[in-house]
Amino acid sequence: MIEVQGLTKRYGPFTAVEGVNFRVGEGEILGFIGPNGAGKTTTMRILTAFLPATEGTASVAGFDVFEAPMEVKRRVGYLPETPPLYREMTVGRYLAFVAELRGVPSKQRYKRIGAVMDKVGLTGWERRILGSLSKGYRQRVGLAQALVHDPPVLILDEPTSGLDPSQTASVRALIEELSGAHTVVISTHILREVEALCDRVVMINKGHIAAQGTLDEVRSRAAAPHFAVELGVTGANAPGADASREVLKAVGALGEVKTVEPVDDPREGLIVMRVIAEGDPRPAVASLAVKEGWAVHRLERVTPTLEDAFLAIVGEEAVL
Amino acid sequence: MNIFRTTLTILRKELSIYFVSPLAYAFLGMFLFLAGLFFYMGLALTGEASLRVMLGNLAISLIFVLPMLTMRHFAEEQRAGTFELLMTSPVSLGSLIAGKWLASLTLCGVMLAGTLLFPAVLAYYGDPDWGAIFTSYVGLFLCCGAFCAAGLFASSLTDDQVAAGFFGIVILLPFWLVGSAVTLAPEEWRPWLEMLAFLPHLSGFTKGVIDSANLAWFASFTFIFLFLTYRTLESRRWR
Repeated sequence: MIEVQGLTKRYGPFTAVEGVNFRVGEGEILGFIGPNGAGKTTTMRILTAFLPATEGTASVAGFDVFEAPMEVKRRVGYLPETPPLYREMTVGRYLAFVAELRGVPSKQRYKRIGAVMDKVGLTGWERRILGSLSKGYRQRVGLAQALVHDPPVLILDEPTSGLDPSQTASVRALIEELSGAHTVVISTHILREVEALCDRVVMINKGHIAAQGTLDEVRSRAAAPHFAVELGVTGANAPGADASREVLKAVGALGEVKTVEPVDDPREGLIVMRVIAEGDPRPAVASLAVKEGWAVHRLERVTPTLEDAFLAIVGEEAVL
Repeated sequence: MNIFRTTLTILRKELSIYFVSPLAYAFLGMFLFLAGLFFYMGLALTGEASLRVMLGNLAISLIFVLPMLTMRHFAEEQRAGTFELLMTSPVSLGSLIAGKWLASLTLCGVMLAGTLLFPAVLAYYGDPDWGAIFTSYVGLFLCCGAFCAAGLFASSLTDDQVAAGFFGIVILLPFWLVGSAVTLAPEEWRPWLEMLAFLPHLSGFTKGVIDSANLAWFASFTFIFLFLTYRTLESRRWR
């Protein structure tokens, strides 16, 4: 549905994005993540045919963004970071204007506006002046304008920024509901949001793609899944440096375990380690602990989060 | 969607914004007050049943008034981020500019219609030259179109409304002042300065003559500034 190849945008000597490639399949939700100033908004603006690119190609819904911008604009609903509202207008008048602008036939216009207002929770707000709305409601109107012409592609720049938790939840539920029928690209700082919503992720940093793939693929860039083990060793076997070493050695000797790394922990009487294993080493570790008389405080599989991946990848590049 | 429909959509939107904000009313009020003042002055000074003095002075006051009307058009769209909404909708830049220009011109039409009371007063008490009054209105309307184009250009240069209003005045003022400078200027400059000044081109209309050279002057002025607006907005996207 969206295909981007070798996309580069330069503003004079400053390069905003360089050599960006990615694809988004029909009905997919793609999360676009990266630190501030990474080039997310620039890429989105190019996809909506607002900005021309310096190099590269991009196509949306089968139309080239640079050669057929009007066709692309007809098929894209775009919510910029700040909802683009006319403060003097009422909600109803504004949505009618946007629907007319995007070519919704006049016979369907009011039905469409009603449906969209219902979808984003604005029913009964037609006569309110946009300038008097709270941030959450402005964001809803912003979403409604992006949806009013029922576009196959939605590009949402930080759709939940500045919303309270319940508003965030309802916007997320709405985006989830929209996937399938619409192809959605969202940019966000909130990585949990991406984990909750997106099928695939593109991580961008300093104008380059730092990582992309399914959530699991990107997460695994941070660290392999591992096991957190905390054992309490008390009494005669109280952990000195030697005792710790022995416990680590005993765990490391188990069949499934590949590596054991000690983790510094301030708590008294605890030996904390990070175990990487083939398969699940937890039953073997538990049996060993029972045999040796150690207390098991924690024995848990840890899957790296997107945040770990983000920090690992973006942090890594920042050092470079 | 064809270009006329999008132009009409923009035109309607601009008019609805004009009339829900106090701007249009303040503007109409100020313009009609000035028109009344100039009408009275014209009658008191010349004793003629003509609108010559009123329309000449009104045209000069448009230099200061029209940039206030057009200043928000692009400056405010860019500040509020709605320019992005317009440019990511299937609307060409040409129809956007045309819609905004026509909206300003419509308001000018309403404003000029408000001054039709004065010829009615003249007709009641005297015997005015209806041909000259008609062509004067044509001239003033063309002048409004030209000044609105310059005002839109000023508005495309910045995202600060007040600065846009100021730029508009700064752009228009030389086209008036240059006319006064004609007698002071060296001989060989005079024809050029006379060509640039707008009042000599308007005076043909107030005398009851529609001269194609004067029509062409206002049409070119309008076209050049609308074209500059187009190029400025287009280049903003590249920066």
